[in-house]
Amino acid sequence: MSCSRRKFIASGCALVLGTGLANIPLVQSMTINGKRYAMLHDESKCIGCTACMDACRETNLVPEGVSRLEIIRSEPQGEYPDANYSFFRKSCQHCDNPPCVEVCPSGASFRDEETGIVDVNPDKCVGCQYCVAACPYQVRFIHPEKNTPDKCNFCRDTNLAQGKLPACVSACPTQALIFGDANDPASAISQQIATKPTYRNKVPLGTDPQLFRIADRNGDLPS
Amino acid sequence: MSTGIFDSVQHAFHFDSLVWHGPIALYLFLLGLSAGAAMLAVVLKRWILPRNNETLNNRASENGLIRATAIIAPASILLSLVILIQHLTMPLTFWRLIIYYNFTSVMSIGVMLLQLYSVVLALWMALLFRHELDQLIDRWMPGRIKNIYPRVMQSVAKFENTLEWLLLGIAISLGAYTGFLLAELKTYPLLNNPILPLLFFFSGLSSGVAGVMLLGVTVFKARLDAASTHWLHKLERPVILCEALALAALFSLLFYIGGRSEVAALAAIGGGFWSGVFWLGIVGLGLLTPLMLQTFTPAEARQRVSFVVLLTSCSLSGVLMLRYFILYAGQMTVY
Repeated sequence: MSCSRRKFIASGCALVLGTGLANIPLVQSMTINGKRYAMLHDESKCIGCTACMDACRETNLVPEGVSRLEIIRSEPQGEYPDANYSFFRKSCQHCDNPPCVEVCPSGASFRDEETGIVDVNPDKCVGCQYCVAACPYQVRFIHPEKNTPDKCNFCRDTNLAQGKLPACVSACPTQALIFGDANDPASAISQQIATKPTYRNKVPLGTDPQLFRIADRNGDLPS
Repeated sequence: MSTGIFDSVQHAFHFDSLVWHGPIALYLFLLGLSAGAAMLAVVLKRWILPRNNETLNNRASENGLIRATAIIAPASILLSLVILIQHLTMPLTFWRLIIYYNFTSVMSIGVMLLQLYSVVLALWMALLFRHELDQLIDRWMPGRIKNIYPRVMQSVAKFENTLEWLLLGIAISLGAYTGFLLAELKTYPLLNNPILPLLFFFSGLSSGVAGVMLLGVTVFKARLDAASTHWLHKLERPVILCEALALAALFSLLFYIGGRSEVAALAAIGGGFWSGVFWLGIVGLGLLTPLMLQTFTPAEARQRVSFVVLLTSCSLSGVLMLRYFILYAGQMTVY
């Protein structure tokens, strides 16, 4: 036999070393042309003031009755005066593998190759609402004036286009929101993701969401 | 008490996670009906009618059942498309679907299939009703078209065999397509599974059998003692059994998976408005009643038109309710 035990063990070790040295990052992000924008919601810093919601509505001219961003407050945890709440950000997760883009029959829902941002091109849309139904995070809605699906696009055409941070990020009084390029290891968001225990929503669905979260310290048990 | 019932019905048709509404259920039903009728049309014409020497003057178009398929298949596909386009938030932009394609989208593949289906169905029907068409053209069309027409028909006729196989293939694909359309939605565990296309295929075929039978024996006077009518009649039971099997497989799968799938299954058939529709309408009226009627009715009673009308109405309303049930109950539970 040409495959001796020594050879087998040696190649096994080489394989393990090889994959180890490849240094697979904790956050798998698709390598696109440069940037891969992502967001981190630090729920331990969030106080649920909803300033982000107001800023988003104002900046992106989102009509009343619909919203691109919601902060969902949990049931009270504990007894007054020691009651606590948890806050959950409901908005587009800018998935690396977005179901909304996959199902769109006309390519109106797309993922911008330069930034990784998931957005809608109204000029290609017919309004079939397949994307609205396909989003497992249920963050899409039909814009009452434009009649096309709408959702958070990290202020791609408003603040970001002007070189500013997304409206929600700059409005947050406790700096619970961090936005940046996850492909750049030196960016604040990469550093946070690398050093803090984060979680993402509905990961088993294979959508690879790019909205990271840091859980707050409140317990899970309802009072 | 009455407000309680009213509230529960209200809630069955209006809830937060609902995106696609009633018209889509009607669209799914009509598309399945059209595909089922088209499958039967090809099988009847190619294999059943010639086998029993039922083609008068070698013209399948004289047969009542074939005539029924020739009405149901194109009429229901047209109606379904009108309903679908009406349901878009921007109906006038529907043409974009024909210009822009996305090969990862089930809906986009469906648009391609539907266009191919329309063309193949139209050509196939032109050949089927060639004699009638000849007379119409001769009577109403100007000379120039009269001159081109025979040449066009001749070249189309060369592909009759290919067209029939193509029509059968597309009809089978379309029958399963609406199932794939919903199964693609990761949001809803009741829909996001591989049994749905099978269920939609069999229930679409079941509605096709019932629809063709109903229209064939009532409007087009297909004889109940004809061999082709017998064949269609015999097809009802196995198709309904396949539909029942697919339905059982769907809910078994959801319970086996557990988690949100189990929650979705329980929410759908374990109580509330849609569970009533499921047990009484779909299982009771749509599956069990036709099976019981087929099995326990005396032979002479089964030869009555009224019996056929009763039986096929049960199957048809069962399939229609199944589409509403899957669409609404399917969207109730989110991952």
